[in-house]
Amino acid sequence: MLVDFELIKRAQNRDSAAFNEIVLVYRKRILGTITRLIARSEDVEDVAQEVFLRLYFSLDQLRTPEVFEPWLYRLTVNAAFDYLRKQRRRQEFRMSDLSEQQVLMADATAGSKVEHEEQAKKKVRESVDSLLGAVSEADRILLMLKEVEGLSLKELEKIYKVNENALKVRLFRARQRVLKAFGAGGKKEGPG
Amino acid sequence: MSMRGNEDERLDALFRAYRDACPDPEASANFMPTLWARIESRQTFLFSFRRMANAFVTAAVALSIALGAYLTIPRSTPAPTPETYVEVLAAAHPLDNPDIVSPAMHVDLNGR
Repeated sequence: MLVDFELIKRAQNRDSAAFNEIVLVYRKRILGTITRLIARSEDVEDVAQEVFLRLYFSLDQLRTPEVFEPWLYRLTVNAAFDYLRKQRRRQEFRMSDLSEQQVLMADATAGSKVEHEEQAKKKVRESVDSLLGAVSEADRILLMLKEVEGLSLKELEKIYKVNENALKVRLFRARQRVLKAFGAGGKKEGPG
Repeated sequence: MSMRGNEDERLDALFRAYRDACPDPEASANFMPTLWARIESRQTFLFSFRRMANAFVTAAVALSIALGAYLTIPRSTPAPTPETYVEVLAAAHPLDNPDIVSPAMHVDLNGR
């Protein structure tokens, strides 16, 4: 926990300074998570503000401060999901993108030249965004939280309030779909 | 099998590359002022909505009371309506006009 329970309790009692402090502590982390969940930097602040707005108006519903972090993650997931659902402008999954993706991945992971680094990062972002078009918005978020944010199944269990086995099954299926799309891109590119 | 394992590893590498390509950004200077403006705007909306809802409930309660009172006030019962033609005539022309009540009752004194 990045904040103590007392601060949360004060914020629950509509203490603006306490709420401000909570936002300042979690802001960077939430912005980072949203950046990776929605992959559109121009809307990240807007979605993050929506998360804290929801936090402000629902803080009194939080029964125990111990579950604050999973709860904040849940608000983040919901806001990102609402955003992605509204947008619905995800790119179509294209084979050509994938073949390019794998080349770029190799570049990005092996360490490309400094002058191309930023360009490579941008393309990795676009490639992953395109690749995740193979799964639903909900599965995309779940996969991101597990694979990119590095949350454990226990943490995901607290956020989603479903049992670990159900999460495992869902994650496995989502990953299989992404892998299939990833593999299809590789085959399209072919050995020659 | 090994090909699938290889793809798994490559996908993991892609996710790692994605994590590195998307570092936690810094918030802009307007983040907090905009957030508080949004909170206040939502609060104002909720406040006016609550006021409107209260006004509506008050009006509904007042209307219900008025309607209840109207329905429970005893009203004077109307006079029973005449049922036969004769009764209608009697009601229209009171007994001080015997010609109408019994027009065929003339007696011929001359025996005709």
